[in-house]
Amino acid sequence: MYGWTGNVLRVNLTDGTFRKEPLRVKDAEAFIGARGLASKYWIDDVKDLSVDPLSPRNNLLFATGPLTGTLATSGGRYEVVCKAPLTGALAASNSGGYFGPELKYAGYDLIIFEGKAPKPVYLYIYNDSVEIRDASALWGKTTHETTDALLAETDPDAKVACIGPAGEKGVLFAAVINDKHRAAGRSGVGAVMGSKNLKAVAVRGTKGLKVADPAAFLKVVGEARKKLAANPVTSAGLPAYGTNVLVNILNQAGGLPTRNFQTGHFEEADAISGETLASTLLVTKKGCAGCTSACGRVSKTTGQFAGSGEGPEYETAWSFGADCGISDLSAVTKANFLCNELGIDTITMGSTIACAMELFEKGILTKEETGMDLSFGNAAAMVEMVKKTGLREGFGDKLALGSWRLASSYGHAELSMTAKKQEMPAYDPRALQGMGLEYATSNRGGCHVRGYLTSPEILGLPQKLDPDSIEEKPAWLKAFQDLTASFDSSGLCLFTTFAIGAEELAAQMAAATGVPYTAEQVMKAGERIWNLERLFNLAVGFTSADDTIPSRLMNEPIPTGPAKGKISRLPEMLPRYYEVRGWDESGVPTDAKLAELGLARL
Amino acid sequence: MIRVLFFATIRNLTREKQATVPSAATVRELIEALSERYGKAFRDEAFEGNEVSGRLIVMVNGRSIAHTGGGSTPLSDGDTVAIFPLVGGG
Repeated sequence: MYGWTGNVLRVNLTDGTFRKEPLRVKDAEAFIGARGLASKYWIDDVKDLSVDPLSPRNNLLFATGPLTGTLATSGGRYEVVCKAPLTGALAASNSGGYFGPELKYAGYDLIIFEGKAPKPVYLYIYNDSVEIRDASALWGKTTHETTDALLAETDPDAKVACIGPAGEKGVLFAAVINDKHRAAGRSGVGAVMGSKNLKAVAVRGTKGLKVADPAAFLKVVGEARKKLAANPVTSAGLPAYGTNVLVNILNQAGGLPTRNFQTGHFEEADAISGETLASTLLVTKKGCAGCTSACGRVSKTTGQFAGSGEGPEYETAWSFGADCGISDLSAVTKANFLCNELGIDTITMGSTIACAMELFEKGILTKEETGMDLSFGNAAAMVEMVKKTGLREGFGDKLALGSWRLASSYGHAELSMTAKKQEMPAYDPRALQGMGLEYATSNRGGCHVRGYLTSPEILGLPQKLDPDSIEEKPAWLKAFQDLTASFDSSGLCLFTTFAIGAEELAAQMAAATGVPYTAEQVMKAGERIWNLERLFNLAVGFTSADDTIPSRLMNEPIPTGPAKGKISRLPEMLPRYYEVRGWDESGVPTDAKLAELGLARL
Repeated sequence: MIRVLFFATIRNLTREKQATVPSAATVRELIEALSERYGKAFRDEAFEGNEVSGRLIVMVNGRSIAHTGGGSTPLSDGDTVAIFPLVGGG
């Protein structure tokens, strides 16, 4: 095969066996790779969709796309797919770095982990050589310690994806960390890995990749690269300031959620912004495999919060910063470092601490329970709570369940800023109407990278949509959701969509794979993937009642800042969204839509 | 008095984070006054011909001028204007 390697590695952790299988070609063409194809494999393999996410029957897949590791610009992505312990939906957590390409160079599109190892293990792959090795000595180690130990034990050029203590201890939003600093962050994929006694995957690949038409491929890759180089976002803004350039613009628009979404404007936003990071803690910028933007931040802190590592991204600067009422960028950055080392998703971690802070502010939580003053703005307490959560010590044991379970245990689920039990990121749906619809309909729960309407609503890309209007948002969201599903599944970074679209993706996929993809087929594949995820959700019990956001955002007007007085008008948009999706009024795909997409009900 | 805030690469042109302008009837007039103050590099970034450049994101009290009349957006005493280059992230 071309683009795809054509090989799947299936590992049974329970009995310590593995086998190689040919990739299912028809499914690969229809579901592309990574997020889409791994979701299809999970559903077909596991069959019983009601499986407990932390049981051995939950499969865990590491999945690349047909463009992962090719010369396509920013083709460095892979995906970790399983049923998510945080939400009960399918988790598909995307990460960059260098692990995904290395897996392709070793000759694999997918690794499927089944069962549970009787003791801690790691998987070592060197091209065709596969070994399940003892990891007892690594259990309890941070992701950095684990990575260093495995590079010494296997091959210094290997790439490592692993969990930290949080994944071992079942923190429901534990991440899988690769290359020390890149996270397949959301929904708790790290907890699933830990539940399998699987500490790490180390891979070294030297085989290279084949594309179907090398001359045509180089031509279309070159054309896409020119567009990325000419675009001010991918060529200037992201390299200079990273994703955290967004703090100020969202704050100026009144859409920077502050103190657990109590308002949309943070008075001290500039202190945690990308501009401030660039002039203070930034050591250098860093790119993932094949990237020309290099939005990654290598940073260093000193003093009370001394440390070094990578970050913070925008969402992280927001979650530990504005959402916790904290303006100390060193504390925010230190919390990011700790999350990478302990293996924790920064969005859910920060939002869960913010939820605890509001419970504390309202007197629902007391210092006797938390062990610390959890007032908004207490930077030292925030950093300490990250540590305690990763190790499940003290009050951290409760934070480890995420904000929905935390707030529910005190009878105040309404204070959890989640959709489908997953924490929403850094855009207030009252100031950006499209993002409210995006959060409510995201198949994996609160998430910004399933249909990033912030781009047209605030950034004006690819065209300027009024963030206050609702009429055009359902149709735009459907298009963004479908396109994003295809990009995620291809192995390209989503950030390339600031400069290129379905035409460029189709041209690169066609030249790489030899399958004559068109822009229309790419969009259709994305829609197929979206509907497959939706069918999964419906089969496990989600209904249209779950397509919602916290009542605060639909009923409590923003009290301060530029978006003062606004609420989310989600209920007005949702019926129209179902309609443009070809779903019935309960949000269920119609028979005609499923026939069009070649899908069957689950 | 109109308060003007500068962000990201725009700060490279202004060498300051914020400024005040005594008065301006429209955003176009404000940008003209700022171009006088900061010189050619700022003007080249801020204007496309006589229109405010599409490479800028300009907000008046949090609302993008793309939805309020572009450069003709009226300004009043006490307004806050934020000027950004095209940025993205997530």
